Amino acid sequence: MPYTIRVVLILLFTTLFQYSNAQTRRTVNGNITDSKTGETLIGASVKLTGSTPAGGITNAYGFYSLNVTDGNYEISVSFIGYKTVVKKIEISKDIRLNFALEEDNQLDEVVISATKKNENVSSPQMGLQKINVREINNVPVLLGERDVLKTLQLLPGIKSAGEGNSGFYVRGGSTDQNLILLDEAPVYNASHLLGFFSTFNSDAIKDVSVYKGGMPAQYGGRLASVLDIKMNDGNRKEFTAEGGVGLISSRLKVEAPIVKDKGSFMVSARRTYMDAFFKLSSDSSINKNTLYFYDINAKANYQLDDKNTLYLSGYFGRDKLGLAKTFGFNWGNATVTLRWNHLYSNKLFSNTSLIYSNYNYVIQNFMEENNFEVNSSIKDFNLKQDFEYSLSNDHHLKFGLNVIHHTIAPGKLTADARSSVNETTYENRKGLESAIYVSDEWAVDERLNLVYGLRLSTFSLLGPGNFKTYDAEGNTTQIKAYGSGDFVKNYINLEPRFSASYQMNTGSSLKGAYTRNIQNIHLMSNSTSTSPTDLYIMNSNNVKPEIADQVALGYFRNFNEDKYEFSAEIYYKWMQNQIEYRSGTDLRGNGNVEADLLYGDGRAYGIELFLKKRFGKFNGWIGYTYSRTERQFDAINEGKWFYAKQDRTHDLSLVGIYKAGPRWTFSSVFVYNTGNAVTYPSGKYQLNGRTAFYYKEKNGYRTPAYHRLDVSATLEGKPGKRLQSSWSFGIYNLYNRQNAFSIDFKDDPDDATRTQVTRTTLFGIIPSVTWNFKF
Amino acid sequence: MKSMNFKRYTRYVFVVIAVSTFSTCKKVIDLKLDEAVPVIVIDGGISDLNENQMVKVSKTYSFTEPNKFNGVSKANIVLKADAKVLAVFVETDPGIYKSPTKFKGKPGVRYDLNVTFEGKTYEASSIMPARVALDALTFKTFNFFGGNKSYIVANFSDPAGVANQYRYILKTKGVVEEDAVSEDRFNDGNKVENVIFYELDDLVKGDSVHVEFQCVDRNVYRYFYSLGQNSGQGGPPVSPANPPSNFSNGALGVFNAHTSSSRTAVIK
Repeated sequence: MPYTIRVVLILLFTTLFQYSNAQTRRTVNGNITDSKTGETLIGASVKLTGSTPAGGITNAYGFYSLNVTDGNYEISVSFIGYKTVVKKIEISKDIRLNFALEEDNQLDEVVISATKKNENVSSPQMGLQKINVREINNVPVLLGERDVLKTLQLLPGIKSAGEGNSGFYVRGGSTDQNLILLDEAPVYNASHLLGFFSTFNSDAIKDVSVYKGGMPAQYGGRLASVLDIKMNDGNRKEFTAEGGVGLISSRLKVEAPIVKDKGSFMVSARRTYMDAFFKLSSDSSINKNTLYFYDINAKANYQLDDKNTLYLSGYFGRDKLGLAKTFGFNWGNATVTLRWNHLYSNKLFSNTSLIYSNYNYVIQNFMEENNFEVNSSIKDFNLKQDFEYSLSNDHHLKFGLNVIHHTIAPGKLTADARSSVNETTYENRKGLESAIYVSDEWAVDERLNLVYGLRLSTFSLLGPGNFKTYDAEGNTTQIKAYGSGDFVKNYINLEPRFSASYQMNTGSSLKGAYTRNIQNIHLMSNSTSTSPTDLYIMNSNNVKPEIADQVALGYFRNFNEDKYEFSAEIYYKWMQNQIEYRSGTDLRGNGNVEADLLYGDGRAYGIELFLKKRFGKFNGWIGYTYSRTERQFDAINEGKWFYAKQDRTHDLSLVGIYKAGPRWTFSSVFVYNTGNAVTYPSGKYQLNGRTAFYYKEKNGYRTPAYHRLDVSATLEGKPGKRLQSSWSFGIYNLYNRQNAFSIDFKDDPDDATRTQVTRTTLFGIIPSVTWNFKF
Repeated sequence: MKSMNFKRYTRYVFVVIAVSTFSTCKKVIDLKLDEAVPVIVIDGGISDLNENQMVKVSKTYSFTEPNKFNGVSKANIVLKADAKVLAVFVETDPGIYKSPTKFKGKPGVRYDLNVTFEGKTYEASSIMPARVALDALTFKTFNFFGGNKSYIVANFSDPAGVANQYRYILKTKGVVEEDAVSEDRFNDGNKVENVIFYELDDLVKGDSVHVEFQCVDRNVYRYFYSLGQNSGQGGPPVSPANPPSNFSNGALGVFNAHTSSSRTAVIK
């Protein structure tokens, strides 16, 4: 690793030096927006042809910046789904050029040939999957609830954490190793109703990118992936409203200009009403129960002038569950992001973000003699400063810093005087996670592109509190008290990031990447599915930062005038300081959880194939992954390597969307995957007269293979009306495959001398219908 | 109390969500399981009651065979109290070994059990905790989602200032129906009313319910807690594993030096 760092540093300094005395260049920059709504477009392509050709894509704020010498140029701006704008310009000074692109509904016509539709081939970035939000609208989903996270799971290398589950595994990582960002704010629990729905209401989302590897240096903090979700800014031109009524939820979104063409806002809300059906019951033990969740996404932006724009965005979501007079349980996230985009010069773009993020849960027991309430939370204050500097056309620098202050309240137990429960408060834990990074995207020549960078991340566990150190058996060896603001333990890590692409011809390229990622905050979950009560812990005297090193190689090819996109990526990943538990660990209200932890290594490797038809009446994709992911812990499975629970050998997804005419769209999804690695009994015995099971090895079995076919049809209303509406009909699991949600082993209730195996299926065939409107 | 109830609640949460949102379907299936090489299982206990103390030694057997106690003979079992030999157990039935005389175990004493079988020796030790008596059994009815469910409640006073672990063995008609543990992490020093989550609704008037209440040491508690997690007693399913045995050398099972107090309730 030190060698890699040295190489990166040498590259960085030589290029910086080289370009400090380059010839006089002019800067062309500006924003690209949607002409109808004023929404900025992320990833739009800008190309200048003339004496010094240049090209680039817009950043997360729809901003681009190019450097050229004086002369006559043709500028062309394009974005998938929009009409390309071509304009002749003469450049003799720095200029600002904003473009508003018109939506192009004729997706089936390939009109654009002069533009950079092969970004996926030419960019050095690999391991990146982008989701077009318009695509999501047509993909069939469970109960008609469109879901970004579930659509993502149809891409190679990204696997569902379970039937109907919005949790996902990337390249052998666990669900907590994904960094999920909503307008830059980390979202700690991205699911509702124990994972069946994600917290992301797709109405409010503009852009979704997932990095499975080769993460650029501005991202850090999680081992396996980065999911970067950007919310819609809001319509800057006029008031619009849209929404939908579905089987289990309804949604409404309104957006409008604050000052036309200067600022706008967007508010989007969703609420489920499963418990409305309870109210129909006359039985008080049913109609007094609650079960629902809601989401509110809100965002406002205001452009102060050409150089300054402010954004304020927030997310508030909560699940509420109550059993009449006995039990209450609610949990949810809140995030707030305040951002300031500023142009220091024509070449230096800056974004400053102040982010607040909070996840908490509350459990209430109302029974008199045992009443109690448990509160637990994780709260972050986060400052991010990012710069983008166009050194030349060949060098785009990104650098910045990030400081996050975490406060974890593991649990506060309160009860009134009648209760037999004692009030208890576990010590809060505070931590400071900081990073600085620098990264350069370097177009070495026509064929070779590099992105290389370095991230220096530090973590400090802060007092106050009593901190314990444990030995390998989990016995306390030391207890030390620290005061407020004391540094209990510090960790410093360097994370080199390197990717390169070599374009063999206009349609194909080879890419390679090496990435190191560090994770300083860890989710403790011993259940097979995620639970709202899963506990976050930070690095400490006992817990070390998780480390992953990944190398990947890829072949990317577009053909038929970029109509088809193909990629093949292979990867190998080494993981250190992975965390498991001793058997019989109770995570709930456990102040000494670190005593029960075990540390080990991981490895994962695989190949991912992806073929996509991007345009045409018929479009869609095939994704296939072959992969392995294993773990090794000295105290588990006799120290032998075992398959991690997310290990699945084969994973196949087929997605097809057919636009039958101006009004009807049909779509279908088929998925197949090998069953997860799982522990089943290999024998049994009697203990105190009851049957107990003997487990020979960890995760030595496979759950039955999973497969499913979904279909959906969307009927758009007649065009031209003020109120546009559409109907979506869907069938989940069309051929009613009985996929195993769980397999249980127990004595036969009808014959105590036998044991039996029971399969629980969660979703058989499920139809759905949703009505959507827009005006 | 709290932790046990809470686990149950989380389980109900899952059930409620699954039932109200989706159409779950259960089916008995055939699944091919490996035939593992049989492993020794030792289920031993020393109580504070004046009785012939008992140790059961058996071997694991195939999942598809009928349930049975697969006892093994000719094990050599020696019990030590505070490092002095207290009893050499004798086999009374295949796999059942008893102390030749009746005696009471004493709280605070460390007991070591030494089992030699087929040339291998398995050792475990357990410290008998201080005795806490089961004061009474009462009934409690919960109104869960459209139905009333009745349970037995164990009433006792938890001693303050010490960590206690309890085990509840509920029997009806001589059959063990529930075997669960709890600890006093959240109700140390209080009067405790702990619900034993075995549904009584199948029982009829006149049936009796017998509850043995044990005080167990920390390792034994952990063993039974883990066993309960495997069978879904702990709410959301965990990846199962053999419970952490206090025996050496890879034996399954547990050696449990415990106090014992029992009560019987009659369904009215």
